[in-house]
Amino acid sequence: MKKLRNTIIFFIIFIIIFLLIGKILHIKPNAIHNFYKEPKNSLDVVYIGSSNAYVYFNTVLAYEEYGFTTGMMASDSQPIQVLNYLLKETRKRQKPKVYVIDLGHIHHYENDEIGAIRKIIDEMPFSLNRLAITKKLLNESFIDKKDYINYYFSFLLYHSTWDNFNNLKQNDLYKGYLLEKLTTSIIPQEKENWNDNVSYLNSIQKEALDKTIKYIKDENLEVIFTVPVKVYDTTKMGYINAATKIIEDNNLKVINFNTIDELKIDYAHDLYNSEHLNVYGATKYTRYFAKYLKENYDLKDHRQDKKYSSWQKEYERFTKSLKKLTGYNIEDI
Amino acid sequence: MNLTTFSFLLFCIITLLIYFIVPKKGQWFVLLLSSLYFLFYKDFNIGTLFYVLVIFLAAYFSAIFIDKYAHKKSAKWFLIGGIFLILSQLILLKYVNLFLVTINHIGSLFGQSINLEITPPAAPLGISYYSLIMISYIIDVYRGLCKPQKNPLKCALFMTYFPILTSGPFIRYPDMEKKLYTKHKFNYDNLCRGLIRILWGLFKILVISQRLGIIVDTVYQNYSTYSGLYIIMAVLFFTMQLYTNFSGSIDIIMGVSKIMGIELPENFHSPFFSRTITELWRNWHITLGAWLKDYVFYPLMKSNLIQKIGTKTKKLFGKKVSKKITLYISMLIMWILIGAWHSGEYKFIIGSGILQFIYMVFEDLLAPIVKKGCKKLRINPDSFGYKLYQCLRTYLLFSLAMIFFRASSVSNALEIIKNMFIFKPGFFTNIFNLGLNKANFVVLIFCLIILFIIEYLQIKEDVIEDLFTQNIVVRWILIYALIFAVLIFGMYGPKYDQTIFIYQQF
Repeated sequence: MKKLRNTIIFFIIFIIIFLLIGKILHIKPNAIHNFYKEPKNSLDVVYIGSSNAYVYFNTVLAYEEYGFTTGMMASDSQPIQVLNYLLKETRKRQKPKVYVIDLGHIHHYENDEIGAIRKIIDEMPFSLNRLAITKKLLNESFIDKKDYINYYFSFLLYHSTWDNFNNLKQNDLYKGYLLEKLTTSIIPQEKENWNDNVSYLNSIQKEALDKTIKYIKDENLEVIFTVPVKVYDTTKMGYINAATKIIEDNNLKVINFNTIDELKIDYAHDLYNSEHLNVYGATKYTRYFAKYLKENYDLKDHRQDKKYSSWQKEYERFTKSLKKLTGYNIEDI
Repeated sequence: MNLTTFSFLLFCIITLLIYFIVPKKGQWFVLLLSSLYFLFYKDFNIGTLFYVLVIFLAAYFSAIFIDKYAHKKSAKWFLIGGIFLILSQLILLKYVNLFLVTINHIGSLFGQSINLEITPPAAPLGISYYSLIMISYIIDVYRGLCKPQKNPLKCALFMTYFPILTSGPFIRYPDMEKKLYTKHKFNYDNLCRGLIRILWGLFKILVISQRLGIIVDTVYQNYSTYSGLYIIMAVLFFTMQLYTNFSGSIDIIMGVSKIMGIELPENFHSPFFSRTITELWRNWHITLGAWLKDYVFYPLMKSNLIQKIGTKTKKLFGKKVSKKITLYISMLIMWILIGAWHSGEYKFIIGSGILQFIYMVFEDLLAPIVKKGCKKLRINPDSFGYKLYQCLRTYLLFSLAMIFFRASSVSNALEIIKNMFIFKPGFFTNIFNLGLNKANFVVLIFCLIILFIIEYLQIKEDVIEDLFTQNIVVRWILIYALIFAVLIFGMYGPKYDQTIFIYQQF
């Protein structure tokens, strides 16, 4: 009996230390990691998508100018299959007034980037939903079955972060927003091309979109789908147009920012590369879209609320970095 | 199945659960099924099955017939037949190319260009281990040390007992008979001690050996870039890498077997505290050395040929010299076989065989001179300083021979030795550019110090037993430290390549 008691105590202590160390060593902050750091029910908007979400929408600028808070459930090259799972996941912690779903990653369905899978699941707390996402992504990937175990136990990957602890723990995000300072001059595409290219979604894309729309309707959620400003080839443009048709047929809203002139995106100055805006483009995009959100949804202004002071601090950290990296003040952009 | 993978962990958990759940009389059968699964799960094909079956049937039937015709001349023929059949499989799979390369070399000496080469089929897992184990089994039956196992399934379990298939140790039937087939109750103390042993093995492999391997691989693969001190460091590190990898595997194996209540013979006993190469080999791969002594060296010493040589040399050089000559001839044959056992390549025959033999002969010949020298110079051979010097000298000599073990060929080893003496500046500034950053290097050195302390303590006492005499707080702190050292500093998971078990390839 004494041996059994000691064994149980030993394992309880082990699990506590293990979880504690696991938390300390899991130090690769990304937008989703930042999402989970926000207090429960403190976000007014949740943005889901790929880098076209967290590089485009400056959450701290939107807060500074309109007072509402935005969480980024976004990750690099996010596979489209996870959309409905992530909607479900966000609702466990947040009850936002509106969800924004970025369609810029509709072509990511092949799951061939191991990092893209890890950046989603590794950040999520252990739950049935996480298991379901992991199973779904692994089953549709080219990852060897014998390596599946690594995805269910993220400690197997992150236990070795201790040797680069100081570099890895640096958080370069501002409440989920990533500042990209570089500028590449890009040749813009013709606006009228958007009407010419319509192709069909494949079964994976279609299933992902259908499930997401069904979930939105079942749960009666306010959602805006967005098409980010960037350069699209004809295939990607075709996917976007096909997806737009399905979404609009279901009476949901889609905004294609490539066709909005008021944004005034300068392709010679406002893009980081052909696929992403830089901080100058992101500022224009955020100002336009944040104003739209404020005008169309009942979003609270938290700027006088002390509970939200971390947002002000992060905004100040952002402006300092902006000045340091580009030489500009936010007012000058 | 690699010993540090989740598949192996899962395999052990399932085996142990079934082993202790089934009725006690069926335990050995559970072990047999697990062992056969372990042996064949990766490469089950007609070829593998054929080689394993030939070895098994040769050993099984020759042992039975040896016993049946005991004390008759035919028993000897069954013994020779059994050994021949087993060795023929081993030679066919592992040593054919050694013979062909030798023929090619001899041909080139006489100006003939012969290019004989064949690709032998892949050898089944553990064949070098169970071939010798089964040879010892039939010899032991012949010598009357044990009765043959008439139940073929029980005999198959002795041959394929899964813990020994990857890295040994060499087991003997008279020692294992009772342990393998008797009933074992679950024992909490065995479980705790077994788990600690497994953890210690994982620490050696994942924390130390893998780190050393990174530096060793970097330098050995670019030996022309890294000369002088880099090569010296890699050479010294490789010996430690080999030891932690091999003895770590043995620790895991012993731990698993201990949990089942089956004690296996120890294969290492703090070898790097040995003062001579002879002593080192008494503490390194102990069961292989003992096997070769019992089944090759002593029979060779008693053989007609050696006896005849002894008689002739006695007439020519006197009794003392003649004794040395016969001893050295037998030793040379034994050491060539030890080298060849590793693989059918000359680099092993030289590194793990002939060089070790040369060291021992010199130790033997120089012993009286060294003794006199110490007396004259008033050096106390039992002083700490002199012991330390002897241990370091032994380690250096052993490491030098191990260059052949690690190098890709004999000529590659000679190139590496040559480059050892070319010194380039900048060693201390580039030491962290060999694949391990500063943090990992510090962890490596710290863990090596811990390893040496434990190894030193192990000379006099059983450290695991000692741990269980400590009070619960100290004991738990030490166990947690070991667990988390493996979990945090272990080089496993998707970031690292798969662990390589050096002795699994033999």
